[in-house]
Amino acid sequence: MKKLYSNKPVIFSLVLPGLLVFLFAVMAPIGLSVYYGFTDYSGMGEVRLIGFDNYVDLFHDNAFGRSLKNSLLLAVGFICIQHPLAILVAAVLDKLQGKAEGIFRCIYFIPNVISVAVIAYLWKFIYNPDFGLLNNIAKAFGHPGKINWLSQQNAIWAVLIVLIWHGFGWGMLIYYTGIKNIDPVLYEAASIDGANWWTTFFGITLPLMKPVIQINVTMAVISALKQMETVYLLTNGGPNNSTQFAANYLYQQAFKAFKYGYGNAIGVVFIIICVLVTVALNSIFKEKRESAA
Amino acid sequence: MKKRMLTTLLTAAMTASVLTGCGGLAKESASTAANDEAAAKPQIVDVEENETPAERSDEAVKLKLFSNLPDRKNGQGLVEQMIIDEYMAENPDVTIEVEALDEEAYKTKFKAYAMDGMPDVVSIWGQPAFLDEVLDAGVLAELNEDDYLDYSFIAGSLEGFKKDDKLYGLPRNTDIMLFYYNQKMFDDNGWKVPATMDDLLTLCTEIQAAGITPVAMDGGDGWPMACFLTDIMVKVTGINYADIISNAVATGDFTAPEIKQATQILVNFADAGMFQVGYDSQDYGTTMNLFTNGQAAMYCMGSWDASMALNEDIAPEIRDNIRVFTMPTVEGGKGGANDIAAWNGGGYAVSVNSAVKDEAIKFLNYMYQPDKLSKYGWENGVGMSAQDQTAYLTGNETELQKQIMEILKNATSVSGTPINDCGPSAFKTAIESEIQGVSNGSTSVDDFLAAIGAACK
Repeated sequence: MKKLYSNKPVIFSLVLPGLLVFLFAVMAPIGLSVYYGFTDYSGMGEVRLIGFDNYVDLFHDNAFGRSLKNSLLLAVGFICIQHPLAILVAAVLDKLQGKAEGIFRCIYFIPNVISVAVIAYLWKFIYNPDFGLLNNIAKAFGHPGKINWLSQQNAIWAVLIVLIWHGFGWGMLIYYTGIKNIDPVLYEAASIDGANWWTTFFGITLPLMKPVIQINVTMAVISALKQMETVYLLTNGGPNNSTQFAANYLYQQAFKAFKYGYGNAIGVVFIIICVLVTVALNSIFKEKRESAA
Repeated sequence: MKKRMLTTLLTAAMTASVLTGCGGLAKESASTAANDEAAAKPQIVDVEENETPAERSDEAVKLKLFSNLPDRKNGQGLVEQMIIDEYMAENPDVTIEVEALDEEAYKTKFKAYAMDGMPDVVSIWGQPAFLDEVLDAGVLAELNEDDYLDYSFIAGSLEGFKKDDKLYGLPRNTDIMLFYYNQKMFDDNGWKVPATMDDLLTLCTEIQAAGITPVAMDGGDGWPMACFLTDIMVKVTGINYADIISNAVATGDFTAPEIKQATQILVNFADAGMFQVGYDSQDYGTTMNLFTNGQAAMYCMGSWDASMALNEDIAPEIRDNIRVFTMPTVEGGKGGANDIAAWNGGGYAVSVNSAVKDEAIKFLNYMYQPDKLSKYGWENGVGMSAQDQTAYLTGNETELQKQIMEILKNATSVSGTPINDCGPSAFKTAIESEIQGVSNGSTSVDDFLAAIGAACK
């Protein structure tokens, strides 16, 4: 059997289907995107090559700059708010034991089960200045006027809260699974040595969770860059692009503004950024692993 | 030997499975295509150029209509469906299949169809922001303008659907920008319909003081506010509106004093609290609900929402008291009270590559027979048609319908295409986003004008 797997025709035939899928479902569309990125194609009619014009325009496009800034802000929000909270909640859940553990685990995961469309409209109503829940609470506490939660200044923070809240369950569940895989003997030993909860958390849980944290952080950054559905349904990037994200901007340019070529140029830059960020994160984590070893 | 055989066998099996998969796929695609063709062919029969309908009376024809009216039970969608059903009843050999999506999804799929073969009859918009690219791509069939001499189209209504003097589509509605207001609320509070923009500002202050939102504005979508800006511009520029805007779009220079003045008026309105809190992020439905729930005294939208007066979901004390007025005049402006923001936007066209083009044009012409779209539209209160509707007045019209008809009858000039639809689609996208920024004060008027100018270049 070992020899069978070292036989080249067998290896080739095993790899071929995956390779074909990768070539035609991933590489070919990327190749087409690169090509259309050099054109002024509107999605209909003639295709004209215009060199790097789309990329030059992109470099001067404030809305695209804003969308990248917002993605960065969201990534920071995920890393600094969502994930620390998720680790803490996962650690607390682990200690709860019994029925409560299962109940709270389900409750925290509920937002992930609900459709993005429902989530977006739910929060749209919560934020509504006339009948929204938040303004009614503010009113009950004596706030005189209506607060515009989705104003140009506030909207990005309002959107970040929704996105952080919505993705919280996934992060928490992965950390929870990671914590469950830690050998309980370590906790018992720490307990015998008189370590309290915080010492155990910082001395055992966090260090042993490093690989899980690394994967979760990489996934969080990529998901911040790819953000589209919730933003599209909640604010569609408005008011005046203040909540714009790269994927939503790409959609608007390609399919609403009839700038298909420009949309593809955004897509190409977007892919490059995603690849660079993933490579950078992997090398940072690799360096850390090596220095730890 | 045994291992060698096993290796060969496994490799062969794997290769066969991969090839079978591919072959199967190819075969399946071919057979699916063939099935599709087979399913389509017996029903879809190409109508020969010189063949009359009578000559192919026993042959089945299948038409596909791609529509932007997904609600088939109310308003314009209902009217469209009524005509389709009648046409099929009168022509038993014709089947009309409808694919309907809401506007944004419609425009996205329209583009996909344009690349890969359009349905036979399609909804279109006779405005440069939509039609220019579509006509450049050559996907719409030319229509014979002489065929429509007896169709009572309002003078000038076909212009937006032409390119190089050739007609490519027909308009469905005449859209007028209006302020809907709650007359009972006005009467109860002693408020008067404003005659000038200063009066309007004063009125808004009074309404605000009463704890009510003065005007419900759908600022989240961008285009209603652009139509509102058009309305202000008409009062500032008068009959010069179209020239000033087309010149600005052509040169990418929006610094004309009239455009600047109109934009400043919009900013002043927003600053004065004319619109609801958060107007720049609220959508169509939420905005309309503010008015129909009595939380807003006025609602700024096009005449297509006149069907509110017949909508039984709206409480009768509001529904029966909805009235309209047009944008008041501005001091020193060239536009009078009867110079209005109105245009012929949506309509229909036929695909140039339709296999049943003659039948599609026949159906299009049937829809536009004066006793179809116009009559049914009027009876269902879906606003003003692009054709003369006076013959279909029943005497049972709602007050709202009568008022709108009166406004159109008394109009001394109409604006034509609203500003956001006057340029390429990139301009439309830019102005509908930037107008949120200028109205909420985060962008200056000069920066706004520079940004929309840049989108034209």
